[in-house]
Parts: sequence; structure tokens; C-alpha cells
Amino acid sequence: MTDAIHLERLHYRAGKNFEIKDLDLHVPTGSIYGFLGPNGSGKTTTIRLILGLLRPLSGRITVLGDPMPEQHARVLGRVGYVPEQPHLDATLTVRELIDFQAAFYPRWDRARADELVRRFELDGEHLFGRLSKGQKAKLMILLALSQCGDLLVLDEPTDGLDPVVRRDILGALITYVSERGATIFISSHLVHELERVCDWIAVMDNGRLITEAPMEKLKHGTKRLVVMNAPAEIVNPPFRVLTRASANGGGGAGENWVVGDWEPGMTSYFEGVGASVREVIDLDLEDGFVELLRSFRKGGTGR
Amino acid sequence: MFHGIDPRSPIPLYVQIAERVRLAIATGTLGSAAPLPSVRQLAAELRINPATVIQAYRDLEAQGFVEIRHGAGTFVRELAPGRRARERSQQAVALVRKLLAEARRSGVSLAELQRALETELGVKST
Repeated sequence: MTDAIHLERLHYRAGKNFEIKDLDLHVPTGSIYGFLGPNGSGKTTTIRLILGLLRPLSGRITVLGDPMPEQHARVLGRVGYVPEQPHLDATLTVRELIDFQAAFYPRWDRARADELVRRFELDGEHLFGRLSKGQKAKLMILLALSQCGDLLVLDEPTDGLDPVVRRDILGALITYVSERGATIFISSHLVHELERVCDWIAVMDNGRLITEAPMEKLKHGTKRLVVMNAPAEIVNPPFRVLTRASANGGGGAGENWVVGDWEPGMTSYFEGVGASVREVIDLDLEDGFVELLRSFRKGGTGR
Repeated sequence: MFHGIDPRSPIPLYVQIAERVRLAIATGTLGSAAPLPSVRQLAAELRINPATVIQAYRDLEAQGFVEIRHGAGTFVRELAPGRRARERSQQAVALVRKLLAEARRSGVSLAELQRALETELGVKST
């Protein structure tokens, strides 16, 4: 078994306006997998499907080798989940919530929980309802990590938090992975944060998967090109054309292209069609993400 | 040693980390047998994937700069005489290439670059 999460041709519909269609995902065991997409793209729905909290119309879900939702009781014992919204009882104290959670998980790591209480500077006597947003997020992470799961599913774990808290949370996640080698599935729209830690990236929009690739491949395969004398129609290029537009000003023959699946040496393709590439410009993950979305929404080259 | 590691750069993070370590070895900041930070420690400090640090250390090992002793850590190897100097001159070449590429991009001519360099070095006064 090499995938911690495996989705195959998943189909789900909620009401008239939203559906997830033909969704395939492969989350390799041991990866830190970033799940990117704008708000409303279907990230949270996908997560709820993965955890067996929603039932798909059709398709297959396998988590840690077991089918979902059929085996959800067995699977969820090995999965740490941090939902987007804090869901804990506001009238319980931090200490009570930790003890309550511990009772459900046979692999509960008391030493880790104690260590994280100190590291996160949480006060065991404080009521959950009185905690700041950052403290709530830290407690949720603490609970998920102390279960000692093989898979962590985090839905926007650092959204809306200040940079200090975000650092503390990411640091704790990284320490956990280096010690235990777990798989982390993390949804976010904070692209720069994912760029640091993830080795796989998937991008969703409007209920569809736009791309799924190793981080390095995605980053290195997406380029902006300055193309001279480009023909209006191009046939079977070895790369994907995401967008093309005439270069601003000048009125000359130059065009700006954004391409995917690019590899060094592909400039020779342009020479074959009587054009030339004047410049190949690297894009960071955020630029690449925006260009992918733009091209997908134009109905262009999405899958 | 790892200040300014840039996740947004097109240069993969593991390459950037390995470069920093090579530079530290070349300049003597890391002497023979000096320990590198542990994978866990460096990953947490830079907030990056531990696998990235492991890859950087493996590359350094393959290049003969460090030795990974399992359970003990990663240590700088005894380098053949001249290797540090060679490594330093390679770093110098890399710096010059970066400068030239930047100059080309922003349309600074070679003559202008040379004049600026001489002024900065105090060879020539303006």
C-alpha cells in the first residue's frame, strides 16, 4: 500500500449548485500533501468525504488501506482531524478536553500532550470558550497530534491566525512528522506556507481537480515565456499552454505565454514553428497557482 | 548559516540547503568533524519538510562533504587539501554568474558593471 488516501472517480452532489465530479486523488504515504483551492472550491467537502462524514454518489475512497465510509470506525482511530471550525465544548477546560479526547484513543501519547501544553503555553484551567482564536487552534492541533495517528487531516489549520501562532503550529507538525513519519493532508489557501513544507500539491476549483503533482515538478514545470513571432495556432506542443497574451506595449511580435509541464530544451519546439523564446521566467507556487486557476476558468486546458 | 533560505525561489530548497553547507565548509565556518544540525532540528527551525533536509544531507554525502552516521548525526568529513579552496573558487564563479544574469536582465552593460565594481572596490574613485 503506497497511498495513505486514494480517491477514484468520486462523485458527490450537494443541492443544485455544487458538485464534485470525477475526483481522483493519490496521497502517498509519508508525504506532506498540500490541498489548494479558493474558498468554495470543494476542499472541505472532499475532506468530509475522505473521513466518511459524507457519502459519495459513486466512486471509491480508500484511507490507510481501508474502504470508506464502510470502515470509518477503524480508520478514524488512526486519523487525527482538525476541522475548519473549532467544535469543542466551550464549557470544558483545556485539561478536561485533553482527558476527554484521550479516553477515545488507545494510542494516546500523554507525554506529547503535556509537552505541547507547555510549548503552546496553554493553561489547563482555562475554559475553551474563553480561549483566543490562536489558543483554540493550538489546542485542536495538540489533540490531533497526541492521538498518534498515521494520518493527519487538517482543514485550513492556520487560516486567520497571526504569524507567531502559525509558526508554532507548523513547527509542532514538522516535529511530529520527523519523529513519527506520518502522512499529513493539509488544505489551505495560504500558498506560501504550503510552499515551504509540502512535497505534493493538488489544486481544486469548482469541485474539480485541476492538477496533482510533486511540488518540485509543479514549480519547475510552470514558466512564463516571452515568445517572438508566435504563430496564431500551434499544434501538439510538448507542454501545456495555460495562457497567452500579447506583450504589453510595443505592438511588436512579442507575446507572454504561461506554460505547464515545461522542461528545459523545449525552446527548440518554437524554432521548429518559426518562432523563438526570448526569455524563460520562473514562477513561484503562488504565480503558478493563479495561472492554473485562470486557465482552468477560461475552460482551457484543465483536465 | 541558513539565513535567507527562500522557499519561493526556483532553486529547490534541498539544493539551497546543501549550497549553504558547502559554503560554510569552504569558508571554514564548519571545520572537519563538525556536526550539522539534526534533521529534526533544522526542519523545525526552517519550518520545512524533514524529507527536504534529508535529501540535502544525502546529496552532501554523495558529494563527499559529510558523513551520515546513523543514530549519531551528520558530520563534516576531512577534506583533501585544496578542496576547500576549490570549493571557494566555485562559489566565486557562481556569485559572478548570478551578478551577470541580473545585470543582463536589468539591461546594465558590462562596462557599467565593471566601473561599478571598480568603484566599490576602491580601485577607481568617481
